[in-house]
Amino acid sequence: MKIAAVVTVVHKYSHAQHFIDRFLEGYGWNGVHHKPPMDLVALYVDQTPPGDLSRDRAARFPTLKIYPTIAEALTLGGSSLAVDGVLLIGEHGDYKYNEKHQHLYPRYEMFQQIVKVFQTSGRSVPVFNDKHLSWNWEWAKEMYDTSRKMGFAFMAGSSLPVTWRTPSLEMPLGARVSEALCAGYGGVDSYDFHALETIQCMVERRRGGETGVKWVEAYRGDRFWEALRNGVWPKDLMEAALCRSHTLTPARKGFNHIFPTFDDMRRIMRDPVAYRYEHNDGLKCTMLLMNGLVQDFNFAARIAGQPRIFSTQMYLPMPPARTTLANFFSPLVNNIEKMFLTGKPTYPVERTLLTTGLTAAGVESLFQNQTRYETPHLAVKYQAPKESTYWRT
Amino acid sequence: MRRRTFLASAAAPFLSPAQTGPKRVAIIATVYRYLSHAQHFGDRFLVGYPWGGAWQRPNLKVVSLYVDQKPEGDQSEERAREFGFQVYPTIAEALCCGGSKLAVDAVLIIAEHGKYPVNEKGQILYPRYEFFKQCVDVFEKDGRAVPVYNDKHLSYSFAKAKWMVGASKRLNFPVLAGSSLPVTWRLPDLELPLGCEIEDALMVGVGGSDPMDFHALEAMQCMLERRKGGETGVKAVQLIEGDAVWKAGEEGRWSKELLVSALSRSDSPLGLTLADGRTQDLVGSGEIYKLVKNPAAYFIEYNDGLKATLLMLNGAVRDFNFAARVKGAPGPQATQFLLTPEPNVTYSACLVHKIVEMFETRRAPYPVERTLLVSGILESCLTSRVQNHQRLETPHLKVDYSPPRQSQLPRT
Repeated sequence: MKIAAVVTVVHKYSHAQHFIDRFLEGYGWNGVHHKPPMDLVALYVDQTPPGDLSRDRAARFPTLKIYPTIAEALTLGGSSLAVDGVLLIGEHGDYKYNEKHQHLYPRYEMFQQIVKVFQTSGRSVPVFNDKHLSWNWEWAKEMYDTSRKMGFAFMAGSSLPVTWRTPSLEMPLGARVSEALCAGYGGVDSYDFHALETIQCMVERRRGGETGVKWVEAYRGDRFWEALRNGVWPKDLMEAALCRSHTLTPARKGFNHIFPTFDDMRRIMRDPVAYRYEHNDGLKCTMLLMNGLVQDFNFAARIAGQPRIFSTQMYLPMPPARTTLANFFSPLVNNIEKMFLTGKPTYPVERTLLTTGLTAAGVESLFQNQTRYETPHLAVKYQAPKESTYWRT
Repeated sequence: MRRRTFLASAAAPFLSPAQTGPKRVAIIATVYRYLSHAQHFGDRFLVGYPWGGAWQRPNLKVVSLYVDQKPEGDQSEERAREFGFQVYPTIAEALCCGGSKLAVDAVLIIAEHGKYPVNEKGQILYPRYEFFKQCVDVFEKDGRAVPVYNDKHLSYSFAKAKWMVGASKRLNFPVLAGSSLPVTWRLPDLELPLGCEIEDALMVGVGGSDPMDFHALEAMQCMLERRKGGETGVKAVQLIEGDAVWKAGEEGRWSKELLVSALSRSDSPLGLTLADGRTQDLVGSGEIYKLVKNPAAYFIEYNDGLKATLLMLNGAVRDFNFAARVKGAPGPQATQFLLTPEPNVTYSACLVHKIVEMFETRRAPYPVERTLLVSGILESCLTSRVQNHQRLETPHLKVDYSPPRQSQLPRT
């Protein structure tokens, strides 16, 4: 089996490096050093700044060849599609930002070139798209529609849904979830997406399955603090999530772990952001970027019939401070391998279609002075896989 | 009315006010300063800690503190002022809160960190036994004993450790001891089935001796004690170092397959991963032999025939990983003992929760014999090191015990 990777940039700790090296070098899986049963044979790299590792990888692995265009990578320099799966890793690299501070990664453009080869070859193969489908909802929807129309397996998203959890808990299938929240960190149009996927991979398992989202409202600056004080999102869920963090900034000097008060949070957090949104079936969710307070992604939900709040952390072994390997890419690569081998995604791309739309809607609400943004276009319906796909073995 | 409710309400009239109030805790520490063990543990009893997705504030009150040393950055007086307890000049006074009788319901001994001499085996002579003995003296004088938690190994000396456990049996008070590693999260959440047949086991640890090898040995022991027949003790140990470790691997004295398996759980391979982020099979590529300048192997031969190895591999990785071959399992069973980052070190909250459980119920959630055995294994390994790395018979380590039936992992 032959795989092609279409990527923006390969340098130490760029997303492409994490993916490519796992295919080339193998990775720890199920207690062995696992070598994917497929060969990464073709690579297209959009940018090769100083620190580029793509040429080093191609030199060390003679089976891997770098091609100057996406079409050549997919055809191995010939005239028709010559690989059995495609990785699209459009994260990192020097790309512009628009006025809404969206990072204009060329995922859609790369995807278009990939499907062009599929079209001219009269054949298509499974595609994995790293992170959100696109910063632009219309383009994301078009990518999704194209995959459906052409009938190829399509997976996408973050590693948060598939990484370890501490504790190792899964949302019970069919749970009646009324509120859910993620206390995470990072920036807008980047880590907000990870936090949204954290929430979505859990709440999609609720009774009735996913029905889509009707509105999104963002909070930042004074409005964030006012909302926090007034309990716009449930304080108990936020506290439960913070109790799952391994990186809670101590609120007082000389203490290593102490729970923050409202005033502590106000002092510690820098430019926090919230997206509050309501699903079509009434479920309400809150995505919090609590910069300065935590450096991990923690989930909490209220489930009818359960006296305790359900909570866990989606644990990321995150280099360089805590680890040397970003091993949360391992379960992601393993799920991709399964799709390449079987032609079937292990979880629905509709999850990432919805979180792509939620990310864009959050950005839009921020851009429109934090007004509520109606999202009739996000009536994305799907059922979660019965089988858990997070890292447990 | 359910039985538990009935018992509670029936018992209530007989409880004295002292028993219904918070349980009183004394902390006996070597030093109390930022990021010392005493601060990690002690503060959780003062400001609470997270467990099960909620900030816990158990019904306990720290009423007294003894600190053996007050180095720069000492926080003992500051904590006492803020949280309304007193620092006493002796352990006996701390336990009696300045009076003549035992005046606490539980004791926390945290004798890790501080300046203490090191013996010829490289053991830091932390006064854990000495602290414990002074507590026992108060218990004996008073005719009443309360639960004691002792951080890390019981003592650098097995004889002293054995005395400590013996005293707890004699005076009938529960003792919990040891490392956080047995009770922290595992990646994956692996618990070997009770009664399984373990064919071979290997642990990879890092850090200095004797603080970090203790953690690694106890992590391995909490896995192995679940084997068929339970724990029956150790008949011999040997510690070898340097190239002899690799040679022993070539000769099959420890399993390379299990080393690959343990390292497959690591998130922190060094060398080429540090250079450019790549994943590595350190054993397959041979990189490990370049990275580890002074490997050490701790060979442990159990009375029931099981052989287990701890490899201390500084330079290869930065985390603690275990692998075992278990009869009937499809492949090696391997996991990482997750040590979460400073300053929170949330794994210590997992341990504090077990301590609180013992303080509240007067029952240790897992047997102190685990720590007794590991204290003895470590001492004998370090003796082997200074005695030309010889294999040493250890008839004194015939420590029998059964593992807790219930998993102690943080799973809720």
